[in-house]
Amino acid sequence: MIHPIQTAVVNRDGSVVFCVIKNMIQVFRWDQTKSEFVAAGQWVDDEDSSNAIKKKVSEEQQRQRAENEAKRRKIEDDAAESETAKRSRRHKDAKVPVPGAGAPPVYNHVRNLALSRDEKLLYACTDSDKALVVFALDFDKENCLILQKRQPLPKRPNALTTTQDDKQVLVADKFGDVYSVDARGSDVVDVSKGNLEPILGHVSLLTAVAIVCDADGKQLLVTADRDEHIRLTHYPQTYIVDKWLFGSKQFVSTLCVPEWGTNLLFSAGGDNFVSSWNWQSGELVDALDIDELVNPFLGDAQLAPSKFQDESNSLVEYAVSKLVTFSNLPYVAFFVEQTRALFICKVDPLVGKLMLVQTIEMSLNIVSLSSALSADSIMVTLDHRDSENAHLAAFITWDGTQFSVDGEKNISFHNCITEKLHEDPVASTEAQDIYPLYSVATLRKRAEN
Amino acid sequence: MKAGMSLDDPSSKRQAYRLKKQENRQELKHVRIDPSASSEKIDLPRKRFYRQRAHSNPFSDHQLEYPVSPEEMDWQKLYPHFFDEATSKMTKEVTIADIGCGFGGLLIDLSPEFPENLILGMEIRVQVTNYVEDRIIALRSNNAATNGYQNISVLRGNAMKFLPNFFRKSQLEKMFFCFPDPHFKQRKHKARIITNTLLSEYAYALKEGGIVYTITDVLDLHQWMVKHLEEHPLFDRLSTEWEKNDKCVQIMRHATEEGKKVERKKGDKYVACFVRLPNPTIM
Repeated sequence: MIHPIQTAVVNRDGSVVFCVIKNMIQVFRWDQTKSEFVAAGQWVDDEDSSNAIKKKVSEEQQRQRAENEAKRRKIEDDAAESETAKRSRRHKDAKVPVPGAGAPPVYNHVRNLALSRDEKLLYACTDSDKALVVFALDFDKENCLILQKRQPLPKRPNALTTTQDDKQVLVADKFGDVYSVDARGSDVVDVSKGNLEPILGHVSLLTAVAIVCDADGKQLLVTADRDEHIRLTHYPQTYIVDKWLFGSKQFVSTLCVPEWGTNLLFSAGGDNFVSSWNWQSGELVDALDIDELVNPFLGDAQLAPSKFQDESNSLVEYAVSKLVTFSNLPYVAFFVEQTRALFICKVDPLVGKLMLVQTIEMSLNIVSLSSALSADSIMVTLDHRDSENAHLAAFITWDGTQFSVDGEKNISFHNCITEKLHEDPVASTEAQDIYPLYSVATLRKRAEN
Repeated sequence: MKAGMSLDDPSSKRQAYRLKKQENRQELKHVRIDPSASSEKIDLPRKRFYRQRAHSNPFSDHQLEYPVSPEEMDWQKLYPHFFDEATSKMTKEVTIADIGCGFGGLLIDLSPEFPENLILGMEIRVQVTNYVEDRIIALRSNNAATNGYQNISVLRGNAMKFLPNFFRKSQLEKMFFCFPDPHFKQRKHKARIITNTLLSEYAYALKEGGIVYTITDVLDLHQWMVKHLEEHPLFDRLSTEWEKNDKCVQIMRHATEEGKKVERKKGDKYVACFVRLPNPTIM
């Protein structure tokens, strides 16, 4: 079977679909004349993660050797030092870590797929060397993905966005820092020499990042973390914090900035509500309680882990995985991790109030969600591992009054992707070898002392 | 040793002491002291019963209590004397923060020097926070006639993560960082309390002209703190002349437990103070 699509991104007009399958990016284009999807490009991350680890360890070894040598000299100078003290100061080299039996498998995902604002570049992050990868897009070529550069980062990237002028990519990592990387050119900064300094940082894992613009066209960087914080910082003067948006009670997993409501910002995560903010005033303008809508779709997957479960084994924990919106249509769509339902809310664009208008139940659990901003359409990818011949993705389009599943597009996409990948060695998988598709729930904090 | 480990051993002297103090604390922590009531003198807490390992990981998920936002913080509990029953509002707000206040020596010496300011100590270690709470309870009740030590308080918290939950923009006039954990290993440098990225959050909480005070006995850490503060566009170092004339610098050198320890060992103490500059024009 073909491995489920972990992440997908659709371009603004919905004509190109970028999919991540394991460590591979697959591109499909909607051919208007033929009215069907065609394969447009691919890229496989063949970087071996052990190389990066070996390099790091050997650097550490060298550093330690130099340090020990310096210490040894100092000790030799100090004649009064006793033999035992000398022996205890003998140091060992750092070892290259080798995973033992029973160690969790290492997955080399491609993550954080995103397009530049002008849609001329595609960004992705790799697990293997924790790098930001930049591709130029050229649909006249047989393979539209042209690798421009590969910038390794100090810690694992977890979210990214671009500045308004598309000149810098802002990458937020799991250590809580944001780095600014030149989006163009092929120059790579040597990270091991410490030449890359964060432009801002939280003391918490960063989960989402976005750029907003105020009335004067000044940019602010929005960063969200697993400590309930959403922070607004001036850009490029990232040393000036503007404000925090207070009101989340649990981790934040997703941020969404609509093009139609200049002061509005939506967020969601481990809370049982979806938040609508006026980021100019810092006010939480609406918190849409989603308990009742979500409840019918919850199952065993949402039971809290046994270690944190209550006596009646009924403690349910769910998390919103992703929120998306559109260019002109004042709607937001979101889904809860490991469920089948896609919720669509209408937004009052002036005050930011949210109202649920539609629930679309898919045949399978939703893995990822993306929207074609100006085409008012949505793409979801599906966890098809337990069902033979099921679709890997579904397209949902706006018909002027409501959203509905586009059956024809689904079939065309299914035919195209199965034809392209049914014998592909990277994409093929057994049901038990599937990459972890659900990681948002693990962001929940479990307090120690 | 883990905090609360001796819970298994009810005969332990320390455990008995801690339990007694805990009851006392729960009863007295948030009450307004009545100076007319003749109460017996409360003994100052004894430090040896509050020992805890010296370090705490600032990245881990501690069981912390913190308000959703500064507006939701209930300061009445910490400074009952400054709560106006008639308006149900605080008459003053915290303007001085001692980040990582340890055993509270600085708070206690600052209290009479700044009677018009509310001073808050933040400490991440549970037992150490308990000690400071007990110390303040004892001092308040023993000085009830003069309303002494009503302007200092302590809370357990992780300032590196949750400072903005407690303080509004430009609320603070002074922030103290006294003898912070040096985190010698290069790998752990992000755990240091002064970093480029955290300084932006401190600058947010400080008002223009507010002061950051740092002191340490570790030269390497001193140089690190100075370097980062000097690099930060919103801070400017104050001269040694200024330091000489500032009473807080004198108190900081001699009041803190760490400061006294360094003195006993005849070690060096490195001081650096910085002023919060106005924000430049937004680009």
